[in-house]
Amino acid sequence: MRNKNIKFPALILIMLTSLLACTKQEYTIPDPVSQLTNDCIKRTIGPSIVSLPLEFAYAMALPKINGKLVSAEVEASIAGASGTFLEHRSFYTNSSGVDVPVTIGTPSTTVDKLTKVTFNVDTNASTLRYNYVIPEEARGKSVSFTFTATSSDGKTATYKMGPYAISKMAIKKNLAVSNGVNAFISIEDMAVYNATAAATNAGKVDLVYLYRATPTTFTHALVSPGADAAYLPGVTLPSGVNRSTKLRKVFNLQDRNLSNLQYGIYVDDIDFTQLDMVDMPNYALGLRAEAGVWVETTDKKYRAYIFVNSINAAGTAVISILRYTL
Amino acid sequence: MTKYLKITLSILMISVIIVSCKKDSPVDEDGLLITFRQECFVSNFELLGSDFVTVRAATAVIDTLAQTINVTVNPGTDLKNVYPQFTLATDCKLDPKVIGKTDLSNLASPKIYTVVSGNRKIRKPYTLNIKF
Repeated sequence: MRNKNIKFPALILIMLTSLLACTKQEYTIPDPVSQLTNDCIKRTIGPSIVSLPLEFAYAMALPKINGKLVSAEVEASIAGASGTFLEHRSFYTNSSGVDVPVTIGTPSTTVDKLTKVTFNVDTNASTLRYNYVIPEEARGKSVSFTFTATSSDGKTATYKMGPYAISKMAIKKNLAVSNGVNAFISIEDMAVYNATAAATNAGKVDLVYLYRATPTTFTHALVSPGADAAYLPGVTLPSGVNRSTKLRKVFNLQDRNLSNLQYGIYVDDIDFTQLDMVDMPNYALGLRAEAGVWVETTDKKYRAYIFVNSINAAGTAVISILRYTL
Repeated sequence: MTKYLKITLSILMISVIIVSCKKDSPVDEDGLLITFRQECFVSNFELLGSDFVTVRAATAVIDTLAQTINVTVNPGTDLKNVYPQFTLATDCKLDPKVIGKTDLSNLASPKIYTVVSGNRKIRKPYTLNIKF
C-alpha cells in the first residue's frame, strides 16, 4: 500500500517533467530599435604588430523618425600612427559579393587619439571601417578603443573595444638578398647590407646569404659569419663580421603577414618565448621558397623568424623578417 | 516463479564473475600488448632534419643479417638535431625509444637501437651508421 502511494505520484512527476522538457520554445521577434544604437566587430585577426593595421567595422543606426546620423568618432587609448583613419564611406556587399562604397561624409580627421567623420548626407544607418595603424609607442602594451556615434536628435551611442595586447614583435617584409652583393643580414637593424655597409655595421651582421649551385643540397643558404669555413665557400667576410648566430630550419610555417597575406598561419610572441634553440647549428643550407629559419642572435638579444618569400636560381632571394626582442 | 527467477539471477551473476575474472591479455612495461609474433627486424628507416624534411642523400640500406642501417646524409646536415624514424616488423618495439630530436653527431661511435619482437623474447641490436 505504501509503495503504491509513492509510485503513483512519482510516475506523475516524471511524466510532467518529460512534458515540460519537450516544450518547444517559440521564437519571438525582437523589439524594433527605438533609438540610436551601434555595434562593432574587429576584422583583423592574428597578432597585433607595430606598423600593421587593426581594422574594425563600426555600425550605427537609428529609426528614421528620430533623425539622421551626424558624426562618428573613435578614440584610441594610444594615438595611432600615420595612416590611421575612419572611413568616410559606408560599404555594402552587392549580389556579386563585392563591397561597394557609398560616401557619407568628408574624409576623417585625426587629432591625437581622436579620429572623426562628419556626415554630410541624410542617412540613418551606416557601417564605417576604422583603420588603426599600430604605433611604435604601443609595442608591448595594450590598446583599446571607444567608438561613438551622434545623431541629429542629440543622442549618442558608445561602443568599447579592447583592450588588445600589442605584440613585441617587429616586422620587415620583402627584403631582397643576392649572392655576393646584398648578402649581409642584420637582425638588429632588420636590414640587408652590401660588403661596404656590412663593414661599417660589422657588430650587427648576423647572417650571410649565399647561393651555390653545387652541391645540390647547398643552393640557397643563410650562414652565420662565425660558422665553419666549409659553409662559407668562397666568401670573404668584411673586417669585424664574425658573429655566430643560431639557426633552426622550418618548413610549412608560412606566416600570414610575412607571406603577404597568402596563408592562415601566424607566428606570435609565444612562439619566440617557447622556442628551443639549444644545440642548434649556425648555418642553414638548402633553403627553398616558403621555407623559414628561426634565428637567435649571438648576444641572445633577439630571436627572429626569417621567411623565404621567393628564390631565384641566379642567386637571389626575397626574405621577410619577424623579430622578437628578448 | 520466484524460484526460477532466483536460479536465473544466480546463473547470470556467476557468468559475470567468471567473465570478470578472466585473465587479461599480457602487456609489457610500456602497456603494449605482448603477442606470439617472433619477427624482429627493421623494415624501413627515415632520417628527418629539424624542419622535418628528409636529410638522406639516398635510401637507407638495411641489412637484417648484419643488423646494420647505413645512411648517407646530405652535406651540411646538422646531426645534432635529427629525428630518426624506424619502421619495424608487426608488434615489435624499439629500445631506446625515439622520443624527439636525437643527437647522432658522434659518427665514430654509431648509435645502437635494439628491436624487440612481439613476444618480447627476441632482441636484435641494429647499428645505425651515418656518413656524409
